[in-house]
Amino acid sequence: MAPTESVASAAEPGIPNGTGAPDCVPDRSLDRALATELWRSCDAAGWGLTRDEFDQILLDAATAQNFGLPEAALATPKQQRTFFHGMCVADLALARACARGNERAWEYFIAVYRQPLTRAAIAISGSETLGRDLAEQLYAELYGLNVREGQRRCPLLSYRGRGSLLGWLRTTLAQRHVDHYRRTRREEPIEEFDAPAPDPPPQTLPRELSLLERAIEQTVGGRQAEERYLLAAYYLDGQTLLEMARVLGVHEATVSRRLHRAEKEIRKQILKHLQRSGMSRPAAEEALGADPRDLEVNLKKLLQNSQSEAFQEQAAS
Amino acid sequence: MTATSQHGFHPDAESLSAFSEQALGERERADVLAHLAVCGRCRQVVALARGAADTDVAAATAPPRKTVEPTAWWKQWRFVWVPAAVAVAFAVTTISVLIEHADRHGPDVKIAEQNPTPSTAPPATSSPTEQPEAVPPTAAIPAPPPAHAAKHAPPATPEPMPAPAPPAVAAQMPPEPGAPETRAIDQAEVTREAQPLSHAEAQQAPPGLPAGTMGSSYTQPAAAAWETEQKQAEQQRQADVDTSHMRVLKHKAAPAAAHGANQPAPAGATQTDTVASAPPLQTQPVTFAEPAPASASNSLWEVTGPVKPTPLPSGLAAVSIASGGHFLLAIDKAGALFLSKDRGATWERVATQWTGRAVAVRRQAHVHGALYAAPAAPTGTTGGSSPDAGLAPLPTEFFELSNDKNQTWVSTDGRTWTAN
Repeated sequence: MAPTESVASAAEPGIPNGTGAPDCVPDRSLDRALATELWRSCDAAGWGLTRDEFDQILLDAATAQNFGLPEAALATPKQQRTFFHGMCVADLALARACARGNERAWEYFIAVYRQPLTRAAIAISGSETLGRDLAEQLYAELYGLNVREGQRRCPLLSYRGRGSLLGWLRTTLAQRHVDHYRRTRREEPIEEFDAPAPDPPPQTLPRELSLLERAIEQTVGGRQAEERYLLAAYYLDGQTLLEMARVLGVHEATVSRRLHRAEKEIRKQILKHLQRSGMSRPAAEEALGADPRDLEVNLKKLLQNSQSEAFQEQAAS
Repeated sequence: MTATSQHGFHPDAESLSAFSEQALGERERADVLAHLAVCGRCRQVVALARGAADTDVAAATAPPRKTVEPTAWWKQWRFVWVPAAVAVAFAVTTISVLIEHADRHGPDVKIAEQNPTPSTAPPATSSPTEQPEAVPPTAAIPAPPPAHAAKHAPPATPEPMPAPAPPAVAAQMPPEPGAPETRAIDQAEVTREAQPLSHAEAQQAPPGLPAGTMGSSYTQPAAAAWETEQKQAEQQRQADVDTSHMRVLKHKAAPAAAHGANQPAPAGATQTDTVASAPPLQTQPVTFAEPAPASASNSLWEVTGPVKPTPLPSGLAAVSIASGGHFLLAIDKAGALFLSKDRGATWERVATQWTGRAVAVRRQAHVHGALYAAPAAPTGTTGGSSPDAGLAPLPTEFFELSNDKNQTWVSTDGRTWTAN
């Protein structure tokens, strides 16, 4: 279903835009009235954006996600309206204006986001000094001091309006901090190294342990993404129920119930796997009570190997 | 999956931020959640970003600092209104209390204002010689003293006093025959209202007012009485104590008054006034006015003007005072009787010739036919001429003293007392 009047039909097709976005496609066109409404609501003209530039920004964001619809699906004007109303179009216009170097947009950006960004950096790093350094470094990058292949590279160009600009800035800061921490942690010397005590001889038979390891791998790998996230965040990352609840947008009690239910299901599934392997119920329960140190199962490695196909494809590409 | 990655295969910052803000669709959310389940780095990123957002929200929702903003003058002075309101409330309360206090003294004034007629109308039993003692109904100003009295005293009231209540009002309050004591008191109060002021009132008169205008203190506005509020409040306590005592005495003296007044007493005949509703005793509270006689054959009873007594030699407050012309008799709290022949300028103590404790002294009019034990050296005009040995008819006017046992003694000169 094609819109009655579209930005793509008004613009000349095939003209590359300045943002590197793909050319306008007739079947991915914008509703003209909706574009006018968004143009007025977000005051894009105040940031130095022309109407055509604004329409092109909207079209790039919509085309990259196909209006939130599956690929090859055409969006109706209502679906387009729903999609853009779910976006932070004003933040998107401001980010693009800053990326283009508009002074007024930068003044507004600094006035509105500088203090929150500094506070977020301090909260993320847990240090006043590290936080301010982290924020200043990100500011330098946002201002386009990094030049790659003769062009200013502004991270704001990667913002496409999904979620708030401030949330994007916080997440970017967190990424920088985590990457820096992971990088520097490997360089830290080990101050003390205690030789581990020799492992005691395993009490469980090696066959039963191998069956248990296989059952754990099959059970954990087959769990749903949310359950695996809860298990990993709680047992591997040591996050609290409240932190996980805030990320998932649910109540803390809900996280607790889901986590408890996941543990019960995993135990139940492991017992079933062991019984399918020819073990009796008591023997399976006894095997489940084996010392974890006797197992050769690395849950972290197991979870790392069970990445979603989407990101595996992304990594491969 | 359309999410770009900054580090190979991780979701970009926008996807993670949108996931944390619940801004992703179902499909994208599931992809990001699946990645978060296996990627500790992205879980940490999301957790840190979310924690920073919560910290920022907590800081934003904290109570803002109060900034100093220019405000209007009435807002800057808003704290002044509080003490101002308290002051106004205190003033209103004070005024209300004082008005109530003034109303409490109001009945005396009303009685005095509403009963001028009985005082001005001489009783039917009055003798012709007592007629001149009556005050004319319209005499807001006391009647001018006779010519011979004017020789001894200046005019009592140079300024007019407020007019008494109309006779119609007084007619609505007829005297009660069955209550001679009450009637006597009313008459005394009416007399006090209509007649020149006694020495006590004259003493209380402010310097700026003539002595005769002190009677207006009962009818002046309450605001004027507030000036002496503090002094009266202190004296009121003493008066209350004495009032209770004098009530008992008055109750005891009632039969005696009835005894000597089987016939209705002439107006102004009851010359004793207890201090039931009078001002404090320290300031000579017994305030009755002496009507100016038209003719006085005895200079002892001649009224020559308001008296100005000095404090008693004992230093105690007087509980009862009686006057007759220049003579003043006063009993202090200790029961001692003092005599003054110069209207209270000087006092001399009278030897005790009675039993018990003297509590009241009053001036009485004569009773026709009544006899009394003549003193050894009578000063009366008719003493000794009686056919009854040792008994003589009472003089026209005399002093009567009562002790705490309700026994009475009489005297014509205030110095020699004889049991009645």
